[in-house]
This record gives sequence, C-alpha cells and structure tokens, in this order.
Amino acid sequence: MAISFTLNGKSQSVDVSPDMPLLWVLRDTLNMTGTKFGCGMALCGACTVHINGEATRSCITPISSVAGKKVTTIEGLSADGSHPVQQAWMEEDVPQCGYCQSGQIMSAVALLSKKPNPTDADIDDAMSGNICRCGTYQRIRKAIHPWQLFPL
Amino acid sequence: MLGLVSLSSNVTRRNFLKTSAAAGAGLVLPFHLSAKRFAHATCGSSASNSFSPSAWLELSTTGDVKIWCGKSEMGQGVFTALPMIVAEELSCDWRRVQVVQADLDEKFGDQLTGGSGSVRTSYDSLRKAGAAARELLLGAASVRWNVARSECHAENGFIVHTATQRKLTYEQLLDAASALQPQANPGLKIPSEFVLVGKPTRRTDTKLKITGAAKFGLDTRLPGMLIASVERSPVYGGTPLGFNAHEVKSAPHVRDVFELESAHLTHQFGETSGPGSRNYSCAGVAVVADSTWAAVQARKLLKVEWNEPPSASESTLIIRERMHHNASEPGSVIRSDGDFDKAYAAAAKKIEAVYELPFLAHATMEPGNCTAHFHDGSCELWAPTQIPGAAAESVASALGIPRERVKVHVTFIGGGFGRRLIQDYAVEAALISRSAGAPVQVVWSREDDLRHDFYRPAACHILQAGLDEQGRLSSWRHRGSSPSIETFYNGTGISPGAAAQVDSLDFPALFIPNFRLEFSVAECGMPLGYWRSVDASGNQFVLSSFFDEAAQAAGRDAVEFLLAAFGPARKIPVGNGETLDVGRRRKVVELAAEKSAWHKSLTAGRGRGIAVAFGWGSYVAQVAEVTWDAKNGNLRIDRVVCAVDCGTAINPLGVQAQMEGAINFGLAQALKSAVTISAGRVEQSNFNDYEVLRLSDAPPVIEVHIVPSSERPGGCGEVGVPAAAPAVANATFAATGKRIRRLPIRAADLLSG
Repeated sequence: MAISFTLNGKSQSVDVSPDMPLLWVLRDTLNMTGTKFGCGMALCGACTVHINGEATRSCITPISSVAGKKVTTIEGLSADGSHPVQQAWMEEDVPQCGYCQSGQIMSAVALLSKKPNPTDADIDDAMSGNICRCGTYQRIRKAIHPWQLFPL
Repeated sequence: MLGLVSLSSNVTRRNFLKTSAAAGAGLVLPFHLSAKRFAHATCGSSASNSFSPSAWLELSTTGDVKIWCGKSEMGQGVFTALPMIVAEELSCDWRRVQVVQADLDEKFGDQLTGGSGSVRTSYDSLRKAGAAARELLLGAASVRWNVARSECHAENGFIVHTATQRKLTYEQLLDAASALQPQANPGLKIPSEFVLVGKPTRRTDTKLKITGAAKFGLDTRLPGMLIASVERSPVYGGTPLGFNAHEVKSAPHVRDVFELESAHLTHQFGETSGPGSRNYSCAGVAVVADSTWAAVQARKLLKVEWNEPPSASESTLIIRERMHHNASEPGSVIRSDGDFDKAYAAAAKKIEAVYELPFLAHATMEPGNCTAHFHDGSCELWAPTQIPGAAAESVASALGIPRERVKVHVTFIGGGFGRRLIQDYAVEAALISRSAGAPVQVVWSREDDLRHDFYRPAACHILQAGLDEQGRLSSWRHRGSSPSIETFYNGTGISPGAAAQVDSLDFPALFIPNFRLEFSVAECGMPLGYWRSVDASGNQFVLSSFFDEAAQAAGRDAVEFLLAAFGPARKIPVGNGETLDVGRRRKVVELAAEKSAWHKSLTAGRGRGIAVAFGWGSYVAQVAEVTWDAKNGNLRIDRVVCAVDCGTAINPLGVQAQMEGAINFGLAQALKSAVTISAGRVEQSNFNDYEVLRLSDAPPVIEVHIVPSSERPGGCGEVGVPAAAPAVANATFAATGKRIRRLPIRAADLLSG
C-alpha cells in the first residue's frame, strides 16, 4: 500500500512494508544516502531527520507513522550547504570522518529553531543523543553557540 | 616510547605501525619510484586540455588543479594535508585545487593508511611531485621568454619573471611544459619559503560532509544491488552445523540464504603469517535480500546451530585471572638495565601496584560494510578500507582469482581507528556477490560491529619501583601480560620480543638505572586488532599513572619529577642510528605545564594531572583538570591542555583537530568503554551497553598548543590518544586521593572507602 508524505518540500509516495523504518526508505528505496545508519536503536543519532520540525531518529520510525507528515533530511536543509547552521559548521571546520554530521546538524537545527540562543545545558540535552567517535564535540558546541550572530 | 626504533630484528607489523615515521625515508621508496616511473611514462597530456606530469596531479587549461589523495580519508584530514604538500611545491592557487580519492593502483605506491604514517611516508614523494611539475612550468616559461630559468619564480599559479614582473599562468604554459622531461630530483623549497604548509587551512571535504553528499562505503548504490546481512559465529572461529534455510528463504524479498565460509585474510605489513595465525573472517550464514530492512528482518528468523571452538568456555574473569597469574611471575625479559633486584632491595622507599585494562571495540560510526560485484572471473569492490591492497589480496585469495582481477574503489571512511585494517567485510561481500550472482552490499548491524570486532587486548600489569634516599627513582620493574596481537596475526612461532605488547623504549625506560621489563602472552580465543595508538593506548595509562604514584611517594611535584627524570636536553642513541630527543620531550612537558597554569592551586574537589606520550615521530604532554562531585558521584572533566611537537605541522588546524579528537577518544576509554566476555561471547551489543563519549561527557575546553618546528613531520593520528586517560586518572587522584588502577574509571571506585 502506498504511503504518502512530504519530503523536503515535495510530495512523495512509497510502496513498501509499513513497518520499514523511514531510514531505510530514504536510503534503500529513494537512494537518499545523506541520512546515516549508525545503530538501528535510536542510540547514536546518525539517522536524525525532522518530522514536522521535530528531531526524530529515523531508524526506529516506521514509514507508516510518517504518512501525511513533513519530513526534512540533510539534503533538504539546503542544496548547497548555505543553511546558516551548515555555514557555522564550515566556519568551525567541524567534521572529521563526517559520518555522524548529517545527524548532528539536523539535531542542532531543531534545537536552534526552538532556542536560538541555547545555554550549555540546552546543548547537552539536545546533542548528547548524537555520538561522534572522531570527537568533534568541542567544535560542535562552538558552532552552535554563536548562533545569535546569525538569525534564522 | 613508541616509535623510535625497534630493538628486535624481527620487523613485526606492530613495530612497522609504530616506527614507520622514524624510518621515514626507507618506507617512501616504493612511493617515490612509482611516482617517478609514472612521470616518465605519462609525461604529456592525458587529455587535450590537461597535463599530468605525474600520478599525483593534473593541471587543466581552465586553471584547475586536480591532486590525487593516495591514502584513505577517515577523518584524519589526509584529503587536506596531502594535497597541501603537493600544492606547496607546485606553488599553485590552493583555491583551484580539487582533491580526488585514488582508487587502488600501484602508481600511487603504498596506499596503507595507518600507523600515523600518511604524511610521514608521503612527504618526500609528494613534495617531489609538486616540485617536478613546477620545474617543468618554469622551464617552459624560461624558453618562452628566452631567459634563464633562475630568473623566474613560481607564485600562486603564475610563473613570474622576477626582474620584469612579467607573468604567465600555468594554463598558458601547459603545452610547452608537457614537451619537457621532468626531473627525478627537482629542487625543493626551504621551510622559510613555505606559504601553504604550516598555514591553518580548512578541510577540503567539509562541504561534502555537511550536505550529506559525501559517499561513504555504505552509500554505494549500484544497479541491481542486493543487500546481505550475515549471522556470524558468536564465538570467533566457530562454524555453522545447520540452519533453517528454507524458512528464512521464504521470508519477503529474500533472494537467498547460504553458509558463508571463513576465509584467510591478508595484511600487508611486511611479514607473513606463520603457524597458528588466526587472521580470518568469521564463518556464518548470509541472508541476501532486496533491501537492508528485508535482510535484517529475515535474519531474525534464522536459527543456527554452531560448532564452537574451545574458547567458548572463556570469560572476562578467566582471562583476567590468567593475565594476573602471568604478571605475578617472571616473564620474557624485554629489557633489562642495571640490577633491579639489588637496587630494589636497597631502596629507601618502595611502591607496588596492579593495573588492569579491558578489551575495547573500535565502534566506528559507520558500521562494517563493503560492496562487491563479482562477474566474469573479476571482482570490483567499493570499500571503506584502510588498506585497499590487502582488500584486493584477501578477496583474490578467497575467490581463487589473480589479484589483478580485483579492482578496489576507496570510499570515504566513517571512522577507521584501525578497524578497517582488517579486510573481513571485503571478503564477505565478494564471496556473497559470487554466490548471489549480483552486486551485493554487506551491511553490518551495530550489534555485528561490537560482537565481531578485532579487539584492543585486555591487559594486566604489575609494577614495582624503588626510590633512593634522595627520592629519585632508582629501580623499576614492570611485568605485563596480555593476549598478543602479533601472535594473533603471525602465529605462535614469533620471538617473545615480537609477541610482547610492551615496548622496550617506552618511558621511563632509559631514564632509570635499574630497570626491568618483562612480558608474558596470555592466550585467549578473542580476535585482536590495532586500536588507535595500539598497545600505547593501555600501556601509557599504566606507565604515566605509576610514574605519578612514584612522584607522590617521593613527595615531589609530578611535573618537576618528570623533568628531573628526563634530565637535561640531549640526544640519547638508541641503536640503528636513531636517537631519542630529550629536549623535545622536556619542551612539551614544560609547555603543557605553563599553558595549564600547573602551579596555580585549585579548590577542594578539583585536581590536575599530567601524562605524556611519545611516538610516531611526535611528542605529546597533556594536563587534565577534573572536578569530583562527591555528593552526586560525578567526575567531570573541565579542561584538557595538550602540548604537541609533531615536527613540521603541515596543517596546524588539522593537527589541532587530531589532538582534540584523539583526546576525546582517549577519554572514552578513561570514562566509558569496556568489552566483556561470557561463554566466549562478547556481552555488549549496542551503544547502550558499549558506552562511548557523548557531548555532555566531553570537556568544554580542549586547548592544543603546537610547538613551532621545522623538523620532519611526525604522525598525529594516534599520539594524542594515550596520555588522555592517565592525565585524567592522575587529576582524579589529585582531586580525590583515590588512585585509579583499572579502566574505565567507575564512580564506585571513587566512592569506596
């Protein structure tokens, strides 16, 4: 049965098993590989996307639950890396291997859209579900902190 | 410690990994010869609008410069640092450089990415490649202007006639330059002429990585590609006796279910596997399906009966007792100076301690994977691998085809840390593709990744030290025991020195008159591998911690005690023409102490600790500052200050990033991670029970101070790891009075009486 939702501003319909997680619909069905697989249990944050603006772990989100909702992935943030959070990531030279960074950026954008001037505790709360094994945490903090300088 | 020179004549892989920098010149030979030969063979235009004076670069009539990266980019920044070296000597416009990942090809020489060796082993050949191209352009301009070549210079993409300031762009000179013969030994710049090398430079791959466009191994998509998920023997070395193939095959979107045999794996560190080598991929059952989800769901239906090896009876407790027993008795002597027994008997003050370390998993963010397409007797791989050559050899051997029939495309790697030196995922993908008759991507789950790693060995170390009447360290005995990575790969026939997981030059060796280092291998069935900084990752925790215990026993300040042990700046010969530079060691300790305000007192519940790591041609000292919140049982790391001397820092911004990342990696070991075993099986399964550092655990501040230097470049990928845990442990002692002697640090260890 086809399931329809909005993906990065465009309507999208997929005909897959309703229990297939959104992550694998994006990666395997739609060949959109910017959203990453890391743990399959919502423990690492690599698969973070926005569903109706909320940061969501796509690896445990059945596609059936997405029907009629608005999904934004890293590819939908900007076509060219021009989103202000992506620009802040460029400025701080954040990524190393880069594998977790799609998820980090999606979590950061969700945080900043709610709290444009987050405290350290806000950042801890919003970002501690996103693991980076390369250890870019200090740069992630720095990239998020001066956010007030770049209003949305 | 690590990496100056091996005293053993047996050049083992571990020693290769650790010493390749010091060896520097010798190891670049294949690289250099290959580049040179290629230069002669292909001089001229590969296409009408471009010019490739060597394998490494291509100049285009549009002004763009392509530079190939012959190493794997796994976060460490080779996509930036290596092209910077070429661009420096080429004197091109850095903004016009495009970096291209090299596939496996002999023209790129040794493509192994490991041992903190990428910059060190490529430096000379990449400089020559850039300089040779620059000289051709200079030659072409001097002919055009009918002036002497010495009257011209290269600058930011132009050849300039210095006296008249006439200029020609590189693209204007391509045709003429391509008619000239490149020099084998072009003149190189002197360091004071560098404009790019040494300049903090942002990474070239960031845009790809913030837009989701970067292609990692798992992002490979091929027409008709199937996905495989593999149930592997829960005990390494086990084989399937039987499984319910029929039931699983009838699951939705499943193409096939079959047994996957274990295959021998190749590694390329200059040694051969001997009897008893256990370097092979895990046997299992492969489930091949149309999508990852279908494969994962079908695999849940699988019921496999295993034939398990004797190690199925092993547990953490058994291995721990075995190591402790070994370390309590004399082992193979790795180093002996003076007379430990006599000096220790005569010591005015004695200390003794037992240190323990757990097995650790790499836990790269990108789980294991590889995509293979076997067809017509050839195999093509898309592999996130640190050694594409070993992937090709392992796959050729497993498939029984010539190595030349294996083509390897190297993808971006979502974290390596040594895990992707082992080629099991490549062999799996190739074997499954052949059986399935289609391109196949093998996808490891996080559970697969944690349970089928090649683990950093656990260890037990028992140390004794004696202080003389003046409070100086006069005797030191270190007995270590651990499973051996080297016997795992090379078999049990290797020498005790080669099998040892300790290094005869690790500090404080050479600085204590009566010194004895012994080691015994603790046999176990676990698969073992190279974990970022290898044995230094654990050994340096032991050595820097016990050294701190000695300073404490002597009633001396830890920095002062360290500098006193080093003695004056000098160079100590350590054999094979190598020397140990005490001045560079002193400098990083002094710099870390100064920048951390070491002598400034802290409030109650806070503490500072120092630790060092020397190796891979580099020198590191780190000071950690911690706060112990006794009420909540919480240890917080407030700050880590790192001083590093890595010789010429090609990209200081990259060096800084490597130190920051390495420190966080070391802090995960200090605070979070341990692999435990029960019934021969790894007990951890995902990030809920194999914990790693999270943002809320990370210190708010990591300061990196780079010692200015024009010495040969040292390695930076690993040297930042080993000191982090002992710096924190020593700081914790200063804050709490509790000595940490096993990792990870547990709140219970700090709360107990």
